[in-house]
Amino acid sequence: MANAAMKIPTAAPSPKARPGLTLGQAQEFTIISALKPGGAKRMRELFREGFDEERRKHTDRIGTVHDLRFVIFDNDSRVIFASTFDGTWETYIDDFGTRIPDEIDLLFHECEGYPGIHSPDVKDWIVSRQVTATAFYSAYPDASVRDVWKALKTKKALDALLDQA
Amino acid sequence: MLKTYAPALELSDIQATVLRPRPSPYLGEYVVLRIDDAAQGREMLRRIIPHVAPADEWWVPSLPGWLGIAFTFEGLKALGVPQVSLDSFPIEFRQGMAARAAILHDFGANAPANWEYPFGTADVHIALAIYAQGEQNLQRVLELARKTHYDLPHISVAYRMQFGALPEGRNPFGFKDGLHNPVVEGSSPAGQVSNEAPIKAGEFVMGYPDQLGETAQTPIPEELRHNGTFMAFRKFHMDVAAFRKYLRAQASSPEEEELIAAKMVGRWRSGAPLVLAPDHDDPALGTDPNRNNDFTYADDMTGLKCPFSAHIRRVNPRDALKDDIVDVDSHHFLRRGTNYGPPLPDGVLEDDGAERGGVFLLIGAHQRQQFEFVQSQWVTDGNFISHGTEQDPLIGNNAGDGVFTIPKRPVRRRLHGLPRFVTVRGGEYCFMPGLRALRWLAGLDGHAEQTAPR
Repeated sequence: MANAAMKIPTAAPSPKARPGLTLGQAQEFTIISALKPGGAKRMRELFREGFDEERRKHTDRIGTVHDLRFVIFDNDSRVIFASTFDGTWETYIDDFGTRIPDEIDLLFHECEGYPGIHSPDVKDWIVSRQVTATAFYSAYPDASVRDVWKALKTKKALDALLDQA
Repeated sequence: MLKTYAPALELSDIQATVLRPRPSPYLGEYVVLRIDDAAQGREMLRRIIPHVAPADEWWVPSLPGWLGIAFTFEGLKALGVPQVSLDSFPIEFRQGMAARAAILHDFGANAPANWEYPFGTADVHIALAIYAQGEQNLQRVLELARKTHYDLPHISVAYRMQFGALPEGRNPFGFKDGLHNPVVEGSSPAGQVSNEAPIKAGEFVMGYPDQLGETAQTPIPEELRHNGTFMAFRKFHMDVAAFRKYLRAQASSPEEEELIAAKMVGRWRSGAPLVLAPDHDDPALGTDPNRNNDFTYADDMTGLKCPFSAHIRRVNPRDALKDDIVDVDSHHFLRRGTNYGPPLPDGVLEDDGAERGGVFLLIGAHQRQQFEFVQSQWVTDGNFISHGTEQDPLIGNNAGDGVFTIPKRPVRRRLHGLPRFVTVRGGEYCFMPGLRALRWLAGLDGHAEQTAPR
């Protein structure tokens, strides 16, 4: 077999660029997917109560999601899922699969071709449906969700202290 | 007898370095080899295989010491591993640790440009870890290793470094070390008990189900993958004088110095965990292996005993993050640590210029979820504990501007101006195959196996 050692380049290839714009530690994340037949109706039914207490609790536990929204468009044939969150989704996607698989599947199971959170193809599906924003603004790109929660808690405590003074 | 689990771990085919703690006390050497000819590389492998220790021989070793062997991606290429196989390895391994610097927060003094040669270059092909219980035995194993390539001109030694235990099993900072490792399901030698829930073997060795119930399907072929794993090699310099000086500057008494040091680590110097001994060191607890890991953070969710930011609470959160989304059990790795260099004599506050520190082999089958996750999310960030960008006080990449938060009533204490106590001197991702896989690698050219020359 050929001696390959001398031909080895010293510089490794750079990590493949992923979709989505980053600002500070915030990342914008937009998925556009076709819906299954009748999917729009079922999704509206599912979200009739919006992010109710139970769903809110699970999303809060993630601790890195600033906001998220579903927009059904194109005569009920497609959906936009848009979010802003801290860090990169790939870091925690496997944890989601272990800890809140049903919640994740519930969000996406009306999307055409969604393979399920436990599928080894789920990351490729996300990337294939992800569309990078043309422009992305954040008022506080360096503040994480946890930073904001903590700041609000501190402000409340400080206000209480000042009110007593 | 081993406890029976299904499927049983094939201990005779898994390298001892993966599953077994090093001997204690210990002495040894890391050796890096470069291969400039694939045929000679495979010949060297054929000769060295009989000396590679399997996990089942560990407590009655037939060797004077033991030898572990691992390969970088460049090393597999140099051995002539087929491209289709090379392409099936995980991305972080193919890129190499230096290329992952942005993810690993290896900036500034820790940047690959500042690493020791040959780390981070294409000259690191094979890494040998050689352990022995004494100098004479070490020399015997080193001689065995040398004989596997002394007459092969295209195999060269790119790097050697000695390591050895410090008095009382302490690390250079003066803490009892190597205290905790996850329990690998089905791997414990007879009679060993643990209070901790075992972690599925597939997290640490390919060929078995992992925490998700999945068995690795790559890299290919199966003969190469089975009973193999990955190792993140990290060499650290430890600035003991800087650590002592920092403690001195922050404290008003020797007792307070010890308390701050313990708060940073999460344990007292004896090994006694803060959760069980919040106010004073308890050497009897520290040295008792049945008790010094028998704790959770359930009674310390305020961090008043052990700070959220303490080193051991970060790298092994146990139950501390149970209300969060993170699946802690998929972020464990096995840690085989060794120290090098002379101890800095007690009481000395000025650096003597000596090279001292630790080398860690961080072993796991999913390095992106294990070493890389822990390093990027838990060691060099603080967001997961609502601490903003605060890093690990001991091993974080602080540059004189680090902060460390100590929960306290009525108000928390925050230390400022933390320097870099630990500097990365080098790192590599390696593949650590099983013994049959080593023979597969050695037989790539189709020649029959040869026996080692005596």
